[in-house]
Amino acid sequence: MSLRRLGADTLVPVVAFGIVLAAYLLTPVYDGHALASFDAYNTLQGFASVGLIALALGLTIVAGEFDLSVLGMQALGGVLAVKAGADHGLLGVAAAVGACLALGAIQGTIIARTGIGSMAITLGTYIALLGLTNVVAGNQTLTYANADVAIWVDQTILSWFSPRSLAALGAFAVALVLFTRTRLGPELKALGGDRRAARVVGVPVRRHLAVLFAVSGGLCGLAGALLAYSNASAQLNPGLEPLVLAAAAAVLGGVSLRGGRGTIWGLLLGALAVALLQQVFAITKLPTSSIQIVFGALLLIVVVVDAPDLRSVVARARARRASHRSAPVAHPEP
Amino acid sequence: MRTAVARVEAMRGRAAVPGLLPALAAVGVIVLAVFALTTDRFFTVDNVKAILNSASIVGIMALGLTFVTLVGSLVSLAVGATAVMGAMVFLDQLHLGLVPALALAIAAGAAVTALQGAIVGGWGANPVILTIGAGFLLSGVTSKLSDGVIVQPSAGGYTALNSTPLGVPVGVYVMIVLAVVLQVLLRRTVFGRHVLLVGENRDAARAAGIRITRTTALAFGIAGAAFAIGGAFLGAFNRGASAQLEGTLTFDVIAAVLVGGTLISGGRGSPLRTLAGAVAIATISDVLLLRGFETGAQTLLKGVLVVGVVLALHLAGRGREAES
Repeated sequence: MSLRRLGADTLVPVVAFGIVLAAYLLTPVYDGHALASFDAYNTLQGFASVGLIALALGLTIVAGEFDLSVLGMQALGGVLAVKAGADHGLLGVAAAVGACLALGAIQGTIIARTGIGSMAITLGTYIALLGLTNVVAGNQTLTYANADVAIWVDQTILSWFSPRSLAALGAFAVALVLFTRTRLGPELKALGGDRRAARVVGVPVRRHLAVLFAVSGGLCGLAGALLAYSNASAQLNPGLEPLVLAAAAAVLGGVSLRGGRGTIWGLLLGALAVALLQQVFAITKLPTSSIQIVFGALLLIVVVVDAPDLRSVVARARARRASHRSAPVAHPEP
Repeated sequence: MRTAVARVEAMRGRAAVPGLLPALAAVGVIVLAVFALTTDRFFTVDNVKAILNSASIVGIMALGLTFVTLVGSLVSLAVGATAVMGAMVFLDQLHLGLVPALALAIAAGAAVTALQGAIVGGWGANPVILTIGAGFLLSGVTSKLSDGVIVQPSAGGYTALNSTPLGVPVGVYVMIVLAVVLQVLLRRTVFGRHVLLVGENRDAARAAGIRITRTTALAFGIAGAAFAIGGAFLGAFNRGASAQLEGTLTFDVIAAVLVGGTLISGGRGSPLRTLAGAVAIATISDVLLLRGFETGAQTLLKGVLVVGVVLALHLAGRGREAES
């Protein structure tokens, strides 16, 4: 059983990324254009947006929680960065990350202390954060006038990378080290797998939850700040799309929606798979509605396959069929 | 099996909370009343009508969503997408007549949402993520079918939904009738009892022999029907339907259910509470609007209210457990 679980952790993301990569490699057949390093750059640009949110969401899912407020944090981060970073880009990033980190910590503390499902609290904070974003922005889309910073974050480095995508990759590298070199990884999984057992063996459940939501907020603030600089404007309402993409990245990355399972490598591959898939859609000029259908269907399929009772339903059906086959006399047709 | 039912019933019987909750609700009403009284132009007939009117479309949908929350499936994030689909079906099929077009829209909304309920109820799929995916898929399908252009009414019958008999919009009557019908359905029928039991304790309900899949699918179906009715009113009001109609609809509807005091974890709450929640939110928005606050402040307050009410209900529930 544990071997099979270990397998799914690495198998799902590798297969998912492999399929998307194969689809990408086949795109020249579709329109005859040559594969370019520009595609890699674009994919990593997409990854910079999807990846940080996917990391934030993925970590909370592994710990058995769900942070719906990622969308609100991203929106607030963008507006704060544009407001505070007019002269110095870094100042804006610091304001965005700091504010979202603090708000996430408050939210995490409430969730940890009360034991209310994080879905309910983060739904409320999501709505509140969208409102706060509008208040801070004065109810209008903010443009970012500092063109130097806007160009700098997207400049090409080693033909594939940009400061923005390197920041996202850096966040994953830090998470990877913390997950594999400290007890944090197993402890977060224990939180998601069996919280009571985690508490019994001495995992500081409340502190971990508070820090987890703080980190989730900070990552989304960073994502919002970098995206706002890149677009030279801050969106007031990102809609549900970033959440759909991040959730898709998490589940393609082998994270179970039931908590307790997932790896940073898997999340990285899952986010890269989603970003590359977006690039494939861009190359093949798929209309937005079709992209919505693909990602919506993908999320639906995954959530159904991951459903806890599906296994028992399937197992019962199998057992019934097996008993019919092996002992037809014992179960006569009615 | 009887004992499981009896135990769940007994748990529900403790719902009478002396103290905290009514006190909080009273404080809320008093604060709101003071603000309303000190706001110019609040107590005018036109303003009260405006409040009821703005409460009606969100209220109709929230009444339906109440059943999703009550049956223990948290909330649906596909509210807006389903309403847009309802609006499109309604306006597009108006040439068949008002009632058939409305019936088709309701059937479509109910079917699409009941299917999600069957998956959630039968296989225990995560309702929030499932409805995010379903909503996204639905938006993609509707914008593909409508070629991304605004769906125009195919006949003039929609104006009936915009009429104001006795000076009050039709939507308000529909909201009130729907609230009463759903309240009776919840409190006076076997189905209603099953919804509460499944929401309170899924395993106990299963042990008691209740069909979880069917109950959940029906609860979702009611919600989907309500989303479509709200969508039809929205489409009629705007004389057209596109993805733009969605706006902040999903969150307004969720906020109405939760602020009304239906427990997010299911099993406790009612359509009448949601009606109160919808009117309260519309009143707050109205007061803020009259006092010159813009949409940002209104949304912020809605979110804070949702968190506050969820927290208060939880703390009250914990106090009750400590008492017993």
